[in-house]
Amino acid sequence: MVLLAGGCGTGGSRDSDGEARVRLTYWSSQNPQEREIARILVDAWNTDHPGIQVTVQPLPAGQSSEEVLLAAVAAGTTPDICSNIWPGIVADISRAQGLLALDEFPDFDSLYQSRIPVGLQDRFRSRDGHTYQLPWKANPIMMQYNVQMFRDAGFEVPPSTYSEFLRAARSITADLDGDGSIDRWVGYRDIQPIWHQRYFDYYAFYAGASGGRSLFVADTLAIDPTVSTQVFSFFRDLYEGGHFPRTKFQGSPFISAAIATEFVGPWNIAWLEKNAPAGLEYAFAPLPVPDGYEGPVYTYGDYKNIAVFSSTEHPAEAWRFASYLVSKEADLLLMEKATQMPIRRDLLVDSTFAGFFAGRPEMRAFAGQVEATVGIEEVGSFAEMLDAIAQQFEASAVYGVRSPADATRRAIDRMRVIQEWNR
Amino acid sequence: MHKTKHSTRLPGERSGLLMAAPYLIHLSIFFGYPLLFAFVLVFHRWDIVTPMEFIGLRNFARLFQDDLFFRALANTGVFLVIHIPLQIIVALFFAELLNRKLRGRSFFRTVYFLPVVVSGVVVAILFQRLFAFDTGYFNGLITSMGGTRVPWLVSPKWAMPSIALMATWKNVGFYVILFLVGLQNIPASMYEVATIEGASTWQRWWRVTLPLLNPMLVTVVVLSTIGGFSLFVEPYLITGGGPMNSTLSSVLYIYNQAFSFNHMGYAAALGLFFALVILMVVLLQRRLVEEDIY
Repeated sequence: MVLLAGGCGTGGSRDSDGEARVRLTYWSSQNPQEREIARILVDAWNTDHPGIQVTVQPLPAGQSSEEVLLAAVAAGTTPDICSNIWPGIVADISRAQGLLALDEFPDFDSLYQSRIPVGLQDRFRSRDGHTYQLPWKANPIMMQYNVQMFRDAGFEVPPSTYSEFLRAARSITADLDGDGSIDRWVGYRDIQPIWHQRYFDYYAFYAGASGGRSLFVADTLAIDPTVSTQVFSFFRDLYEGGHFPRTKFQGSPFISAAIATEFVGPWNIAWLEKNAPAGLEYAFAPLPVPDGYEGPVYTYGDYKNIAVFSSTEHPAEAWRFASYLVSKEADLLLMEKATQMPIRRDLLVDSTFAGFFAGRPEMRAFAGQVEATVGIEEVGSFAEMLDAIAQQFEASAVYGVRSPADATRRAIDRMRVIQEWNR
Repeated sequence: MHKTKHSTRLPGERSGLLMAAPYLIHLSIFFGYPLLFAFVLVFHRWDIVTPMEFIGLRNFARLFQDDLFFRALANTGVFLVIHIPLQIIVALFFAELLNRKLRGRSFFRTVYFLPVVVSGVVVAILFQRLFAFDTGYFNGLITSMGGTRVPWLVSPKWAMPSIALMATWKNVGFYVILFLVGLQNIPASMYEVATIEGASTWQRWWRVTLPLLNPMLVTVVVLSTIGGFSLFVEPYLITGGGPMNSTLSSVLYIYNQAFSFNHMGYAAALGLFFALVILMVVLLQRRLVEEDIY
């Protein structure tokens, strides 16, 4: 007990009754909902498993969880298990031999095959053939819209194509108080040229317009210039027409009815339920796609997964706990408390979840979207390459100083240079 | 031999060393070691988690092909060109006012110094609200008087001047104090002589105050140049380097390379190059501004 109180979460110790105990440290996400989920799950686990006691701790504060994890790997202060692993850093950490290959546990394959939708099964395997992450949750980016605003604009169903969205934009964008300045827009995006912001516009829309293709095939750059140009053009039309503001809002413009749409994941539902004013009617729909596009509408999946660090002294016990975190009960809790989608193939058919979806139709939309998602390719310097796209997105879409085709060409050129520099 | 050496030690030398030891240890750990490590890093590729790889001068070869770094360097130059003269003029103006017999002088001295001690993050949030295009207080004031909104932070032309304005507001109090010290060190007799010689107020300021303030002016120019070169918090928190890279400062670019993209070796090479640029600019400034008074 002294060991635990002293903050040393990892290792083994002997209790006063002489019984050997394994102690594990588990890092959860920082947001309040996931912290609560982690606490509930760990309390239940510790009660049921007196020989394997887990200490939960939210990821230490930092600019991003990725930075914190990399710093922890470098400093040798990693926990045993972490449930907020962004697939984009799995390659880096596993190259540094910081993660256990989960596929080496005997029951991994059966769990993986039974849990993960068939279309996503290859997505989480690393190039060396091993799997270092247990797929946990997805937050597919969809279009959240103000139902009343679209109804007033003559749209009983949300726009599904670029031209429909632009048509709605022309009706919704307005100067309501007549002071000569627009004060209601169809949507809004953070215009800062920060690479990870582009997951929620360019990257998600590229996935939608390309039928789920990624920017890379293996580690070869494979951007389709036509699709990229279409995406840049769509956003350029929105900014040029004044339908998206070039500003930064204080507070949420969606709940203050200053905008009609946002591109968000299901996590936003929990937030809206807590903060939206009574009477604000909202719903979710797939992202708009180019006119004439046929097929399933893909989007960015924003996956977060569970990993076991190689620093653990108790790999088998850590793996048992990781498996517990993806149990049906844990997944149900994730949906109920945090409105986030577990990555599991039986979500819409298993009776465990039926009651939840019956009362939450908006979550059903996200559950249906999970399989049509793309993630992050295992490519070196991915963040820097997305930064190259962010630069061109800003120049072409937001400020209109560069044609969409030229912006695409420049982004591809810069990404090639970055790959060459870092080869 | 040892005995002789020991006996020549000055009294108090040992205690002096002991007293300096905490600072020397701190300096060695937090300045000396990182500096030496940075010199090693410039020849390596390192992403924090995997072992370092020696790549010779490739980081420098990349640096000279990196247009974005030179854009960031130019942006920093633009910031300095706006910020330094503005800071000096405003600081001199307030120092002159506070040097006079003014009611509530101590209160005003405190007020002007207050932004210096306020966290840069707080100032950034405050100015974000003031400068917001659609919902900001400045534009609210302008439109209420019949004017048109100014794209403070969302136009490539306006963003860096807005950042410079914010940085000036934040730092000017410190330079006001420096100038005030300089002004108070000018002997009153110099003004008396000038008055007897028939000098006007302007002539007294131009011929007496300004030349005698020169040493302090040099200090202010050097300090604000070094401070200006380290521009980071404002663009990092408010603009992210945009719009169109117009507020991407050199330090922000180096930070991105190091901590967003994990290119530690390249960031170290950029840092070394940038330090040389600062050194050259400061040396040049000193030659241009510094002159003997007596």
